[in-house]
Amino acid sequence: MSLSLSTVLGKSVATFFKGGVHPAEFKELTCQTPIEQLAAPKQVQLHLQQHIGEAANPVVKKGDVVLRGQLVASAVGSGVPVHASIAGKVANIGRAPHPNSVEGQAIVIEAGENPFQEVEFPEDTAWRELPAADMLSRIREAGIVGLGGAAFPTYRKLTLPAGHKVDTLIINGAECEPYLTSDHRMMLEYPEQMLLGAWLMARVIGVNRCLIGIEDNKQDAAELLERKIGELHSSLAPVKFEVRVARTRYPQGSEKQLIQALTGRNVPARKLPMDVGVVVQNVATAVACHEAIRYKRPLLDRIVTMSGMGLNQPKNLRVPLGTGLATLVAACGGMKDTVVKIVAGGPMMGRTVPTIEIPLIKGNGGFLFLTKAETYLGDFQACVMCARCLEACPLGLEPNRISILVEAGHPLDTAEHGTHECFECGCCSYACPSKRPLVQFIQVAKTAYRRDQRLKEAAHGK
Amino acid sequence: MANSGVGGGPSAGTLHLSYGPHVRSGESTSSIMWQVNLALLPALIWAVGVFGVRPLLITLAAVLGCVAGEQLFCLLQKRRTTLTDGTAVCSGMLLAFTLPPGLSPWMATIGGFLAITLTKGVFGGLGHNIFNVALIGRAMMMASFPVAMTTKWIPPQLGNFFPPDALTTATPLAILKEKGFEAALASFYQGGGEYDYLWRLALGLRPGSIGEVSVLCILLGAAFLLLRGIIKLWIPLSIFAGLGLVSLLSTAPLLHLFSGGVWLGAFFMATDYVTSPSTPKGQIVFGVGIGLLTGLIRLYGGYPEGICYAILLMNIVVPALNDWFRPKRVSTMGVPS
Ligand code: SF4
Ligand code: SF4
Repeated sequence: MSLSLSTVLGKSVATFFKGGVHPAEFKELTCQTPIEQLAAPKQVQLHLQQHIGEAANPVVKKGDVVLRGQLVASAVGSGVPVHASIAGKVANIGRAPHPNSVEGQAIVIEAGENPFQEVEFPEDTAWRELPAADMLSRIREAGIVGLGGAAFPTYRKLTLPAGHKVDTLIINGAECEPYLTSDHRMMLEYPEQMLLGAWLMARVIGVNRCLIGIEDNKQDAAELLERKIGELHSSLAPVKFEVRVARTRYPQGSEKQLIQALTGRNVPARKLPMDVGVVVQNVATAVACHEAIRYKRPLLDRIVTMSGMGLNQPKNLRVPLGTGLATLVAACGGMKDTVVKIVAGGPMMGRTVPTIEIPLIKGNGGFLFLTKAETYLGDFQACVMCARCLEACPLGLEPNRISILVEAGHPLDTAEHGTHECFECGCCSYACPSKRPLVQFIQVAKTAYRRDQRLKEAAHGK
Repeated sequence: MANSGVGGGPSAGTLHLSYGPHVRSGESTSSIMWQVNLALLPALIWAVGVFGVRPLLITLAAVLGCVAGEQLFCLLQKRRTTLTDGTAVCSGMLLAFTLPPGLSPWMATIGGFLAITLTKGVFGGLGHNIFNVALIGRAMMMASFPVAMTTKWIPPQLGNFFPPDALTTATPLAILKEKGFEAALASFYQGGGEYDYLWRLALGLRPGSIGEVSVLCILLGAAFLLLRGIIKLWIPLSIFAGLGLVSLLSTAPLLHLFSGGVWLGAFFMATDYVTSPSTPKGQIVFGVGIGLLTGLIRLYGGYPEGICYAILLMNIVVPALNDWFRPKRVSTMGVPS
């Protein structure tokens, strides 16, 4: 590995192989205050499509009375089910605004008298001895998806195709996106649940090594987890847990980069972590899996970071899924007039939303209310070939040349510069002094290749 | 729409929708260029200190020419003015720095105007030029005003702000080429120890172009840019390596390394982003090439100084160097055992 300044100074902190950036963190807005429980919303809109894969199928109808935790839509194909996040009456099943696309099918539940009245979830005393297959199906039945934002069904990620051997589970507590602190708070407030959840996932995939990756701006979480690992020693055997502190550098929390930092292994382009013997799971996902296997408790709430200078009281909220963003905003004292952008997710890879009239889905870990001073709304200039984007790219791609070719109208000549490898982390755009929207140029190139592919297939009569 | 049900918030329709990232680094193209301009000031102040106020007038005149050229193209292409980005001012300053301090300022204005319009304007503006703008300006002035460009040198004298016009001399490298090492030394310095001439060169007590004489002032500016992460050492170090190698063939290797415009060229011209390669490997090849060519032109070519043409020649191969020396891919390295 290359000799970085920190190694020279004798303080070696793990990090990924190349590139990366370190934007202003803004974590201090929310990382000190405990997670706050949101008061029960009057209504939730539960989308049938909250994960990657086929949408769930409603098993309730308008007028049905449901309890919190009750199944309302069953899994289809390789998808996962959806559960009522509040108790009440099914008011409607129909189109509702969706955070990731314009609209989608959702089950609307109006809160009853006691919205937190739950189906009973007694502890399964045999939870530690369950066969892996049973654990896996409980994870699926709980509707758990990757809570780091990808929303890929967790049971699928924990199902290893025949012939694949993994030796390490990585729990991703890097939380490298600025502003976001929900994983940080989760580690501080639910360390035992997280460790037991990780232990269960390790059992499911049959590994005895679990690394917990945390950036060095969350030393308190790292120290707490170290201590808890010691205290829970006998419950965690035979899995060996290790907390690994990585440098605070974006995109440390991106799967492939975290694997580089923690194991020194490099996942090749177009391959998966399991191809180098690793499975990566997010902190919040681990907590959810513990609930699912031990109590058969489905995923009903999630912790959401509400932050940005445009919000009156930034905080972390525990929110029933399907709650409208407007309700969350109200719980944070409302927005300021100076908000120019609302971002679902982190400021590096998150997407803007046009309105706060959208319901929360499983993948929403944070919403940012950015003012003009925090974001950039200006124009971009020509590339001056300063190479900052090349230095920032964690994959060694050439976003500058892709952007120049796209500008010149040659998007189909960009593959050799890395169009297909780019995972749109945004480091290049962040670093560019000409403020070029490099990720967008790369997306244009990718779209052009996809269209070209379709045209070619059509021409060959496929 | 955005604020229904919630007090406060932005009014409807004012929310921006865009792709990420939604935060950007603080550095901009113009902030970088103005920092480069700032880094050039020590050398300019030194020039005024030893050559009088005329270098300042020449610099202003060259900047005026560049700014006029830039603005003309903005008007022609109906674009918003790009003067605030600092690049035209930078080109003007750098051009002036390569000129003899006794030149008539109007010549610098013409040089600056031609440099910007022919090198940058017609190629499409910022980022589109192949050649270093300032050096093209100098090359065109060499062709247009050959006598003035090679004779209007002034012997340095600290604090003499209004030296008489007639007082001209020749640069050490020119004398070295024609009359040898001893004569070159005698041109700016008499007496003292064997290597005392070196500190006079480092300080800038010798005849030469406006911004090239003081190695220390150039290094001061360069150190600032290095600390700010604006330039890297690959190119300058490779230039000195290349030039050092060729200089060993000469009678006065140290005189070669410490005189002429090589310090100015290495730190401020060869490092120009647009006209230099993007990867460290490409930059090393580029730098060594410049160093070698500079030495060869000085020793065997028709000019006493070669850095200007060396950089311009190497500018031509930058696109090829960018193709040959790509960043190292992380994503295709395969699975390490
Ligand atoms: S967005 Fe793509 S090109 Fe840009 S830094 Fe990330 S991986 Fe590299
Ligand atoms: S950072 Fe921007 S200006 Fe610099 S090389 Fe990359 S695209 Fe060009």
